[in-house]
Amino acid sequence: MPLMTDKERPAMAANETIGTAYASPPPRQALKWLTARLEVRMLLLAILIAVTLSFASPYFLTTINVLNLLDQSVVVGIVAIGMTFVILTGGIDLSVGAVAGLTGIIFGLVVPELGLPVGALVAIVAGGLIGLVSGVLISYFGLAAFVVTLGMMSIGRSLCYIFSGGISISNIPESLSDFVYTKVAFIPMNVFVLLVLYLLAYLYLGYTKGGRTIYAIGSNAEAARTAGLNVVGYAILPYVVSGALSAVSALLLAGKILSVDPLAGNLLELDAIAAVVIGGASLFGGRGSIIGTLIGVFIMVMIRNGLNLMGVSPFWQGSAIGAIIIAAVLVERLVSRRGAR
Amino acid sequence: MQAAAAKETLFTASGVEKSFGRTRALADASITLRRGEIHALLGANGAGKSTLSRVICGQIRPDAGDIAYRGKPFAIRRARDAIDAGISLVMQETSLAPDLSVVENIFLPELGRPGLPRFGEMRRKAEDILSRLGQRAQLPLDGDVRALSAAQRQLVEIAKALALESDLIIFDEPTASLSPGEVERLFDIMVKLRDEGRALAFVSHRLEEVFAVTDKVTVLREGRTVAADVATAKLTQTELIRHMVGRELSQIYLERAPSEQTQKPVVLEVENLKSAPLVRDVSFSLHRGEIVGLGGLVGAGRSETLEAIFGLRRRDGGAVRLNGKPFAPRKPAQSIRAGIGFVPEDRRRQSIVPDLSVRENLLLAHLGAHRGFGLAYRRRDEKVSELLAMLGLPADRLLDASMLNFSGGMQQKIIIARWLMLDPDVILLDEPTKGVDIGTRSSIYAMLRAIADRGVAVLIVSSDFDELLGICERVVVISDGMSIADMPSAVLDEEKLTLLAAPRTSMERNVRFLRDLAATYRGAAFWGLIEDEKLFCLKVAVADQRAAPGFGDGAAVDFAETRIPAALGAAKSQFVSEADGSLNTLIVDVAGSRGHAMGAAGLVLPHDTEPPDAGQLAAVIQAHYAAHD
Repeated sequence: MPLMTDKERPAMAANETIGTAYASPPPRQALKWLTARLEVRMLLLAILIAVTLSFASPYFLTTINVLNLLDQSVVVGIVAIGMTFVILTGGIDLSVGAVAGLTGIIFGLVVPELGLPVGALVAIVAGGLIGLVSGVLISYFGLAAFVVTLGMMSIGRSLCYIFSGGISISNIPESLSDFVYTKVAFIPMNVFVLLVLYLLAYLYLGYTKGGRTIYAIGSNAEAARTAGLNVVGYAILPYVVSGALSAVSALLLAGKILSVDPLAGNLLELDAIAAVVIGGASLFGGRGSIIGTLIGVFIMVMIRNGLNLMGVSPFWQGSAIGAIIIAAVLVERLVSRRGAR
Repeated sequence: MQAAAAKETLFTASGVEKSFGRTRALADASITLRRGEIHALLGANGAGKSTLSRVICGQIRPDAGDIAYRGKPFAIRRARDAIDAGISLVMQETSLAPDLSVVENIFLPELGRPGLPRFGEMRRKAEDILSRLGQRAQLPLDGDVRALSAAQRQLVEIAKALALESDLIIFDEPTASLSPGEVERLFDIMVKLRDEGRALAFVSHRLEEVFAVTDKVTVLREGRTVAADVATAKLTQTELIRHMVGRELSQIYLERAPSEQTQKPVVLEVENLKSAPLVRDVSFSLHRGEIVGLGGLVGAGRSETLEAIFGLRRRDGGAVRLNGKPFAPRKPAQSIRAGIGFVPEDRRRQSIVPDLSVRENLLLAHLGAHRGFGLAYRRRDEKVSELLAMLGLPADRLLDASMLNFSGGMQQKIIIARWLMLDPDVILLDEPTKGVDIGTRSSIYAMLRAIADRGVAVLIVSSDFDELLGICERVVVISDGMSIADMPSAVLDEEKLTLLAAPRTSMERNVRFLRDLAATYRGAAFWGLIEDEKLFCLKVAVADQRAAPGFGDGAAVDFAETRIPAALGAAKSQFVSEADGSLNTLIVDVAGSRGHAMGAAGLVLPHDTEPPDAGQLAAVIQAHYAAHD
């Protein structure tokens, strides 16, 4: 947000004296630090929503419903990881829903021949390859991410129908369902996978060369290039991650309903982008966090679930989600503007 | 000057404060503007000149301070209030709408008022204003502003201010993009406006202009008014500079150690480097612990040379050797690992990563050089504390979320430290003091000197020749993509550097002329500067080896070192024979089309050639130089 132009910055900054910055007493400072963290603010919002919904519906905070909430978070949550990577570089991936659908169909077609593990691997590799194509077109050839992934979305969905013949495939082995719902430390495998993937993404983005490079690319690619970072390679990687994770979520979805449908994952990209944005990421890149995205996913799922429990018509849910997205970004803008002044 | 007695005070501001975030742009600024006066507002970069002028015209609301206009307290809430009150700002980068016509732009503020615009009337009024200024012929009223020159656009801005019947007009660095002739015309207009009884404020950092056109001076330093309302005529340039800088200017540059680079080993050798289109043929070498400047005009290919060395730009030819080994990086990571650092010109665009913390910004080149999956930040902890001590930065500032909170000078020092982190052999800097105020510059110079003393070879590009000569031991001059001279700073000054750096477009004609001259008379022809028993040779053309004068392109030699000492010493417009009778030389002083000195041109002939008529030849040579510029 251009509160000040670059031209005036040096002029204003020239009188800066060092050491006067932290004059406020420590307790207030700690509080300031906490509220300055975007994740903390979003977590507070999430808790507020949870408390409100638990008053609105007695079923909301039951164990069954909480497990249900987590279960509903899996598909969009995993896709949102890849989307966070992409958005951090300043890109966007509109093809995730179509890639999920297509890799699901591919899995359904090959699994009778190749078996579960190899079939799953084929689907994930296929997803990664689609991401690689998008990434190379965007990063190496410099095409707009929006356009490339829009094209990929169209191609992916079309291939879904071609490969499946337009009907759903329901010969998924039941062992996949068993796997998805195996309990690991009291939680189902799919939720476990979700949490492990978030942990890995958190570590990768915060503590590896690649992760920091992804932030640097989104924040200032030119400076990153001058400092010797591999800006082409690490701008491609997020699309590969995004494609592969779309396939993972497609597999978990297939395990849940034991069939794959050419329409599966339709509009998934919008939910994923919404979760990332609610989680505080900037669509211009460089700013955002994986924890924020997870909270964003929970907020979306909770609202859907809560509205269902309260018996609100599903027609209204889109309006609710849309309002939350806009409100989240608006609050964020107002808060950070105050901080900058 | 008119009777200085009772000029009506139009505007006063006192105790004005303004902060942006943590940075204080104005601390205690004050200014008084009177009718019939041109008031200079001076200060170094970042002193708050622009902020104060924007406070005056209502674009910025101050945090504190009293402002009175026409004797009444004046609270400007919006830019519109200032317009209605008759205050206008003529800006450096103009605020015109390029796709609208000149008339529409002049009356742009009118278009913001309710009702239908009356174009006929506007046109008449515009013609009126321009003829009053005596500039009617300068502006096509119906043309798009897009097609106008910088000077014409400024005229539109001025007309815009007059259309509003403004009593108070602020000129914010109005001469930055004008040619000398256009500046004169602007000053005529300003004087006319003053004599009409308006109050004018003139923001500038060009002292000559301040003395040329203003009546009073107010100087700002670090957001404070340090000299208020002083009569311009009572000041000298040195006094003004002292006010602006707060100390003697000569202390800015450090004493240069006597250059002894010849003994030090060569680190970087550049030979006939070529990178189309701007770098055509650049050669020089850099020794350990040496600061070398790359001088030249903007667009001469200096930055591009650095980029080609560093691997940010494709090379089309030539060779670079680093520590004796051929070096041809295809990307920056390779140069960084080989021990080269690069501080580019545009900090905000090419260096700072705003969303990473100060610490990560400091470690960014480390990350680029690092091979491996993790970060290995810990490995640099010791180096980080060492660099922090060098920068004078408390450790807790490392966690600052963004570098943008720092002053330009501190940002630059952090970027330089980013490269020192890797203990480079060579560091390349492009305009290292751009956007850094004068006070902080000296600390950057000290930092560069300290780096060089540790054995790092430092290569600096700067458009500020004074700075280049002040900090560099040697200057390589680049003109139109070619290195044309390599001289110790001690034998150069700004004038000579400027002449050496003159673009080759004018040089090319001269080169052809010298070649023709040498060929026609079967001897050698040269062009250079003669001063104090020294010759700076800009170009030599030799047609007959027997006439070779004993110096080459870009050489700086004592007369005694050449084969024509007698002729150089005599410097008469006739042929002079050397003591041994071997050579006959004619040397002629030449001047450019505007009569400015361009050095001397000479023709050297072997003794057995019959010299032509000296007077006639001198006239031909002088006519050639005067013919173009």
